[in-house]
Amino acid sequence: MSKEAFFPSNAPAALGPYSPAVKTDNMLFLSGQLGIDPATGKLPATVEEQADQSLKNIESLLAEAGATMDNVVKTTVFLNDIADFKAVNEVYAKHFEAPYPARSAVQVAALPAGALVEIEVIAAL
Amino acid sequence: MSKEIIASVNAPAAIGPYSPGIKSGSIVFLSGQLGIDPATGKMPEGIEAQAEQSLKNVEALLAEAGATMANVVKTTIYLNDIADFKAVNAIYAEHFAEPYPARSAVQVAALPAGGLVEIEVTATL
Repeated sequence: MSKEAFFPSNAPAALGPYSPAVKTDNMLFLSGQLGIDPATGKLPATVEEQADQSLKNIESLLAEAGATMDNVVKTTVFLNDIADFKAVNEVYAKHFEAPYPARSAVQVAALPAGALVEIEVIAAL
Repeated sequence: MSKEIIASVNAPAAIGPYSPGIKSGSIVFLSGQLGIDPATGKMPEGIEAQAEQSLKNVEALLAEAGATMANVVKTTIYLNDIADFKAVNAIYAEHFAEPYPARSAVQVAALPAGGLVEIEVTATL
């Protein structure tokens, strides 16, 4: 079975023992994306900005693998605070169209780098 | 790859930018299911009742995709309290037969709507 790693074109090749995205056969698994701006390496201040940047990072990675948000079949939204769900939902809805992916959403105890939201997706090519 | 929405009158309807389930080729991804009774839109009291309802919602959605619990290959259980794991396990075991799906289980900080358990499954047809 094939296994190919994808990296964002505008970021360091490897930051740790993981690949940003892995393609196997027709499935694409992305690492959870924080809302880090690849240009600055920093998280913006608000959950809305972090959600938007996370989804932008996802779109860039999908593009590297020849996919778009239309290919996304399943997402998981990890929130620092479930009270942010409504705000994140509004940003999230701007990045997807029907048929929307399946989704799970939970509040976690903490995210890396003190982030407010992390979004993970699976896509099918 | 085709991307088909999976929804059932016997499972909670989507109330945001997601689908209750997505069928892509031979894989079915379901959104995490809280123990919401689709008839009332409410969650019952108690972890056992919520776990049972969550799994019933899963079964209803799988049926729409032409699948049963025997098609489930992987689940994730999100618990509001890890101390509930034993009780949830007992109910969970009633809904599956060998060979059991792979599974991950964690306690989260909070679930949407104050739910006590959320169960996510992936199935293959």
